[in-house]
Amino acid sequence: MGVRQENGTPRKLGPVTEEEIADVTDNEVRKYLRGEGANLEVIQDKKLKGQLAVREELYGKSAKTAAKAEKWLMPTEGGYLDAEGIEKTWRIKQDTIAREVDISSSKKQYDIVLPDFGPYTLDFTSSGRYMAAAGHKGHLAIIDLQNLGVIKELQDEMMLIGVTGIVVNENVEFRGRGKRWILVADLILYRCIAEVREAVRDVVFLHNELFFAAAQNKYLYIYNRDGTELHCLKEHGAVLKLQFLKNHFLLASINNFGQLHYQDVTTGEMVNNYRTGLGRSDVLQVNPFNGVIASGHSGGTVNMWKPTSAAPLVKMLCHRGPVTGLAFHPNGHLMATAGMDKKIKLWDLRKFQVLQTLPGHAKTLDFSQKGLLATATGSFIQVLGDFSGSQNYSRYMGHSMAKGYQIQKVSFRPYEDVLGIGHSMGWSSILIPGAGEPNFDSWVANPFETSKQRREKEVRSLLDKLPAEAIMLDPSKIGTVRSARKKEKPTKQEREAEIEAAVAAAKSVSLKKKTKGRNKPSKLVKKRQQGIERAKRPLLEQQMEEELSKKKKRKMSEDNQLPKSLQRFARKTATV
Amino acid sequence: MVETKRKTRDESKGNKGAGKRMRNHTNSNQKKGTKKNKREERRKRTGPRLPNALQREIDLKNPSTPSISDEEIDSDEANDLYEYEEAIPEEQSKKNRRYDPVDNLEYELPDDFKDENIVSDDDDEEDDEDVDGARGNQKADNDDEEDDRRHARMLQDITGLPSDAFEGKRRKNNAIISEAYPESEYNPSRDVLDGDGRISVQDLLDPLHGKSGFSKVRKNLHRMERKSMSIQAPLPKPDREKLERKVAYEKSKKEITKWEPLVKRNREAPTMYFGEDVELGFSTVGAIASEFEPRTDFEKKIALLVNDNEVAEAHNKDGARLLELNKLSVEDVKDRQDRLAKMRNLLFQHEMKAKRIKKIKSKTYHRLLKKDRLKSAASAIEMDPKAAKELAMKQEFKRAEERLTLKHKNSSKWAKRIIKRGMTVQDEGTRAAISEQLHQHAQLTRKMNSMKDNSTSESSEEDDGDEISTDSDNDGASKLLEKARQKTHEVLEDDELPKSGVLSLPFMVRGLRKRKEAADEDAKLALQEYESSLQQLEGKSEAESKKMGTLSGRRAFGTESKKVQQSSSKIKSDNFYSNSDSEDDIEVNEDVDIGQGKRNFTHKDVNIDPDLLREDSEVGHDPVFKSFDDIVKDPGPKTTYEVSIFADNSWHKKKNFRESNQKKKSEELLNGSADNTSQVLERILHGQEMEEVDGESDTDDDGRMVDGVSISSTKSTYELPSQKDLIRSAFAGDDVEEHFEKEKQEILNEENPIPEKPVVLPGWGFWPGQERKRGRKKYDPAEEKRKEDLKKRKDAHLRHVIISEKLDKKAEKLHTKTVPYPYTSKEVFEQSIRMPIGPEFNPATAIGALNRPEVVKKAGVIIKPIQYKDVNPHDTREDHKRSGQRRKNKGSSRAINTMNTKKMKAN
Repeated sequence: MGVRQENGTPRKLGPVTEEEIADVTDNEVRKYLRGEGANLEVIQDKKLKGQLAVREELYGKSAKTAAKAEKWLMPTEGGYLDAEGIEKTWRIKQDTIAREVDISSSKKQYDIVLPDFGPYTLDFTSSGRYMAAAGHKGHLAIIDLQNLGVIKELQDEMMLIGVTGIVVNENVEFRGRGKRWILVADLILYRCIAEVREAVRDVVFLHNELFFAAAQNKYLYIYNRDGTELHCLKEHGAVLKLQFLKNHFLLASINNFGQLHYQDVTTGEMVNNYRTGLGRSDVLQVNPFNGVIASGHSGGTVNMWKPTSAAPLVKMLCHRGPVTGLAFHPNGHLMATAGMDKKIKLWDLRKFQVLQTLPGHAKTLDFSQKGLLATATGSFIQVLGDFSGSQNYSRYMGHSMAKGYQIQKVSFRPYEDVLGIGHSMGWSSILIPGAGEPNFDSWVANPFETSKQRREKEVRSLLDKLPAEAIMLDPSKIGTVRSARKKEKPTKQEREAEIEAAVAAAKSVSLKKKTKGRNKPSKLVKKRQQGIERAKRPLLEQQMEEELSKKKKRKMSEDNQLPKSLQRFARKTATV
Repeated sequence: MVETKRKTRDESKGNKGAGKRMRNHTNSNQKKGTKKNKREERRKRTGPRLPNALQREIDLKNPSTPSISDEEIDSDEANDLYEYEEAIPEEQSKKNRRYDPVDNLEYELPDDFKDENIVSDDDDEEDDEDVDGARGNQKADNDDEEDDRRHARMLQDITGLPSDAFEGKRRKNNAIISEAYPESEYNPSRDVLDGDGRISVQDLLDPLHGKSGFSKVRKNLHRMERKSMSIQAPLPKPDREKLERKVAYEKSKKEITKWEPLVKRNREAPTMYFGEDVELGFSTVGAIASEFEPRTDFEKKIALLVNDNEVAEAHNKDGARLLELNKLSVEDVKDRQDRLAKMRNLLFQHEMKAKRIKKIKSKTYHRLLKKDRLKSAASAIEMDPKAAKELAMKQEFKRAEERLTLKHKNSSKWAKRIIKRGMTVQDEGTRAAISEQLHQHAQLTRKMNSMKDNSTSESSEEDDGDEISTDSDNDGASKLLEKARQKTHEVLEDDELPKSGVLSLPFMVRGLRKRKEAADEDAKLALQEYESSLQQLEGKSEAESKKMGTLSGRRAFGTESKKVQQSSSKIKSDNFYSNSDSEDDIEVNEDVDIGQGKRNFTHKDVNIDPDLLREDSEVGHDPVFKSFDDIVKDPGPKTTYEVSIFADNSWHKKKNFRESNQKKKSEELLNGSADNTSQVLERILHGQEMEEVDGESDTDDDGRMVDGVSISSTKSTYELPSQKDLIRSAFAGDDVEEHFEKEKQEILNEENPIPEKPVVLPGWGFWPGQERKRGRKKYDPAEEKRKEDLKKRKDAHLRHVIISEKLDKKAEKLHTKTVPYPYTSKEVFEQSIRMPIGPEFNPATAIGALNRPEVVKKAGVIIKPIQYKDVNPHDTREDHKRSGQRRKNKGSSRAINTMNTKKMKAN
C-alpha cells in the first residue's frame, strides 16, 4: 500500500540533545510572546519606557525558555497519513491502518453493538480516558477506555456502568481487526424497566469523570460515576442538548422550547436563562477558546451567547436552511457549520466571514485537537484535514459504517488518534491518524490520572474557577481599558444630584449690597428664591420633555395595537 | 610712638643746631617765603626780639632771612617804618655754648645706598595739609627741591626717621607745642593724634638694618613697590557672599554629580537587592552547635570529659567501666565533708544564739524587740495588701471580742472594787490605770475602716450608737439595750457625793448613800438584764443567721446551731423574763425546726425531683414516642394511601393525556394533509397542556420504542423522521435572508435609535402662504450621527452577521475605566499586560524574574545608606545580572559542596 503512518511516533528515538534545544526559532518563540510588544519609541515618559523595556526583555527571555521547554516537554509530534503517488488518503481503509499500526493502537478500533438502545451519543472527558455513552432509549454508560485496551478479557476490563444496577447478559458484537467476536458483557448495565423507557437525549461529563449530566425525557439529571442520581434539575425542562463549560463550571442546556439555561454546578445557582426565541434547537456547542456558546437554529442562524446578556453576542446567518451541526476549532478562531442546504461552511470567527464552503450534509461535526474536522451523515463519516496550514480543508479520510447505521454523533477522543462514533447500533471507534495531541500536559489533562491527582485537580480547578462575566468574545480583552460608552440617559439619582448641585450653586451666590431700601431681607430672600428657580428650570424642563416623549411613544404604540376598526375610537391627539 | 616722639624732639634739637650751622647755607629761598616770612621779617624789624628758640626756628625755616637779597627786596618798606634792634641775649649768641661745633656736617652715605623716593599718600596728604605753603612750593625749581630733599635726607639719616615725617613735622611744628601731660602710650602726642606720625614700612624696616636677612626683606619690599599695584576696595558684603555661594554651588554640584550614575542605575534597576552580602549566620541549631568551641574553664573541662575517649568507650560498651571511672578522690570527699561540717556548725551556732535570746527576760529588751517587729510589720503592711488585710481582720476580731466581753469596761473584779471604793480615794496610779483601761476599751471598740468592703455599710449602721436604725427589730432592740446599759453604767460610776451644802451633812450623805446603793443594785440588775437580753438577742441573731445557713442547706452547721440555741435557752431559763425568753426560744426553735424542715423538705424535693423528673420525662417521653410512633405508624399508611391516590390520579391523568394524545394522533393521521398552520395555531392555543402532553407523548413514543425494540431493531434501524421534524426542516429555510435582514434592522434601530423629529403642526411655524419646500431635506445632526455610528459598527460590512454592541454591565468590572497612571496611551498599556506572568504560563525558571519585587532584602538585615561606588553609566544592568549569577553560583557551589560531602561519606 505504501502508506506511511506516523501515528504518535516520536520525532526521534532517544532523548533530545542539548544542541537541538538550544536553537529555537523565532517562530517558536513568537508563540509564547503572545503578540507584539508595545512600541517604546512612542512613549514620552522615560521612566515608563525603561520599565517597559526591562519587562519586554524579561518576556522575551521567558518566551525563549518556554520554547526551549516545549522541546523538552513535547518530544513527540503527531503523525498523519501521507499518500504516495496516485494514492489518496481518503481511500485508505481502517483495515489497512489496523494492519500497519502497533497492537495497542489497533485495539482502539472496535464496534460495540448495542442495538436495543437506539442511537448513541458520546462524550469524552478532557483527558480522553473516560467516555460517557447515552443510548437514546435509555442507556447510560461510562467506559474507562484505557482498560478497554485488553478487550479480550472483556468481562473484567470493560467497565460499563449504567445508571441503576441490573445486570443483563447481552450479546455484544465486537468487531476488531476485521474479525468478529461475540462477547458477553456482564457489566452492561442499563436502567431498569420502569425508568429505562425514558429517552436520554444527551450526556455530558462535568469537571471530571465522577459526575455526568444526562438530559432525559423530562428533566436534566446529574449522576455520579456509580450511576447514583444526585440531582434532578427540573428548571432546565426537557433538555435537548447539553454543554459543560469547564473553566466556569457552568452547565449549559437548551430545551425543546429553545430556552437556554446556565447553571453553576458548584453552587447550584441558576446563573441565567434566556429564551432564544428561535424555536426548538438541538445544536449547541461551546467555543473552547472563550466559553461562548453557539446554538444553531432552524432559521439558518447561529447565535452566540454568554450568560450575562440576554441578547446574543453574535447572530450569524450561516445557512439558508436549518443548521444541523456546529463545531469549534480548539483555537477558537474557526467554526464549522453544517446546514440542511447541503453545505458545510468554515467560518473565521475573527472576521465572521466564510473561509470555505464545502458541499455535503452533516448531521454532526467535530474538530479534533489537531484541527481535523469530522463530519458524518447517515452512515458515512468524512474527515477533513488542513495540512497545508492555509485553513483550506480538504478530504483527508473517510469511513463508512455498515449500511443502515445512522450516525448520531462523532467525537474525537482527546490525546488519541481516535474518533468515537455514536450510532443507532451502538458505538464505534476508528483510528484517524494525526487527530489527537500527542503530548499531554498533566496539569491540564492527565489520561493517567490517579485518584489523588484528580482530587487535587478538582480543588485547583475550583480555585481557578472563572466568573460567568469573564465569558466574552475576546477574553484577552479582560483587563484592558473599557471601550468608550455610548451616552446614556442619566439615571434618576444622577439627575437629582445635578439639580441639587445647581441649587447649591444658586444658593451660594452672594448678592450685592444695594442702597437703602432695596436691601430688605424679604427682597433678598425673594431674589435668592428666584435664582434657585432659574437654576432648576432647564433641568426640570429637560426631564419633562423626556417624560412627554415617553408618553407619546406609548400612545403611538397603543394606537398601533388597536385593531383597525377600533382605531377611530382612539383618543385623538393634537399631532397631525 | 614714644620713640618717634623722642625722635622728633631730637630732631628739633638737631634742627636747632642744623639751623645755626646752615646759616651760611646758600639756599636763599625756602619753601615758605611769602606771607609768613614777610611778617616775621617785619616783626624782626619792628617787633621786639624774638625768643631765641623761635628765632632759631625761623632761621632754620628761612635761612635766607638775614640775607641781603631779602633785605633788598623789602628794604624800602622796612626802612620806612621804625628801626629797633634788640640785642641778642647772651646765651643765644653762642657764648654759653654747651656743645662743640661739629666739623663734618655731611653724612656720608653708604656706597650701596640708593636714593629712594618713598612717595605715597603721605606726601599727598602733606601737600593737602599745607594749603598755604605747599602749593607755592610745587612750582619751585628743581634746585630748590633738590636742596630740600638733601636736607631731608640728611635729617633722616641722622635720626633714622623717614623724611616725610620731617617735612610734615617741620611744617606743623611751627607752632609751639606745649604738652600738659607727659607723653605716654595713653597720652599720645599731638602729632600722633593728627596722623602725621604714620609708621611706614620703612620705619619698621630701619631698625632691622644690618641684621641678617634684612637685605632680603628689603629686596622683597623693593620688588613689591616696583610692581606696585593699587589694591582695589573690597566688594560689598552681599556681592561677596553671592560670589562665595556661587563658588560653593559649583563645587558641591561637582561633588554631587559623581553620584549620578549610581543613583541612575538604582533608579533604573527593576529590582534593588539589599543586604545580599550579609551573612546571616546559622540557620539551624545543629549548625550552631557544630561551631561551638569551649572558652571558659568550665566549658573546657566539660568538653574534655565529653570528648574523652574512655568515657565514650565506656558508654558504648557497658556501665561497668563507668563505675570505675566514677571513682572519687579522697580529697574530694574530704572537701565535701569539711564543707558539710562547716555548715552544720553554723546552724548550731545560730540555734544557740536563738536560744540565748529567747532566754532573755529583760522587759525593755523585749519591748524594743517588739517595737522593732511592729515596725517591720507596719512597713510590711504598707508594702503588701495581704498582710494589711490580715491585720485588719485581726483587729476587727479583737474589737468584736472586746465588744462581746467588755473586758476593759471596768467589769473586772479589780475595777469594780476600785469603783466601789471610789475613785477619789484611789491614788493616781490606779486612776491612771483605770482611765487607761477605759481608753483601751474605747480604742478597741472604736469603729474602724474595715477591710471588708461589702460589709462596711452594715457595720456602720450597727455601730452608730445614737442612731437607732429601723432596719430590723433585733438590731434596734440591741441598740436600745446597749444604750440603757451605758446609761446605767454612768449612773453607777456617777457616785460622787456632794461635799458642801445641805447635802454634805452627814445624815443627808448617809441617806443619799443608801438611796444610791439601792439605785446601784437596781442598776446592776438592770445591767444584768440588759446584758442577758443582749446576749439573747445576739444568740437569736446568730440562730437566725444559722437558720439562713440551714436554709441554704448546710446540715452540720444547722445541728450545731440548735445545740447552741438549747444551751442558751438553758442559761436563760433562770432569767427574770424567762417567759418571753422561752417564747422567743420556742419561736427560734420552731424557726429552726421549720427551717430544718424546710431544708429537709427542699432536700427531699431535691432528692425526689430527679426521680420525678425522670418519671415526668419518662411520662413525657413515652407519649411523645408513642405519638411519634403513632405518627410514624399512622400517617404511614395514610401517606402511602395518598400517594397511591395521587399516583392513581396521576395515572388517571396520564391515562387521560394518553388518551387525548392518541386521539390527537389519530386526528393528525386523519388530517394527514391538513394545514400546518392550523396545527401551529392549535399548538399555541393549547399552550400549557401541550408541554405535558408533549413530554408524555415523548415517553409514550419512547415506551413504544422500547416496547417495540425487538420489532424495530429487527425490522430496520433507520426511522423515518417524524412529521414535525419534516415540516420544521421543510419550511425553515424560507425567506431566511429577508427575515434576517429585517431582524438586523430592528436590532440596529434598537441599539442606535432613530432620532425623533419634532412634530409639525399644520398652520404652525409658517406664515400664511408660505409653504414648506418639499424634497429638500434639512440637515439633521442627529441623523448624521446615527449614520456615523452605524458605519462604525463592526458588522457594518457584514450582511449576515449582527454583532451586539450592548454593554455588559456585569462584565464592566473586568475592564479598567481609564488608563492607569504611568501609561498615557491605551495601546501601550494593553500591550504591556498581554503576557501572563503566572506559574501556569511560564517556565519555572522565568517566573522568579517576572514576579520579582522591586526590593529584595533579607529579613532582619539593616539597609545601610547608599555608599559611593564607581559605576560605569553605560553598563547598568550587567551588574545586577552578575549579582544574580553570583547568588546562583553560591547556591550551586553549595550544592557541589554537599555532593562532595556525600561522596566523602560514601567513601
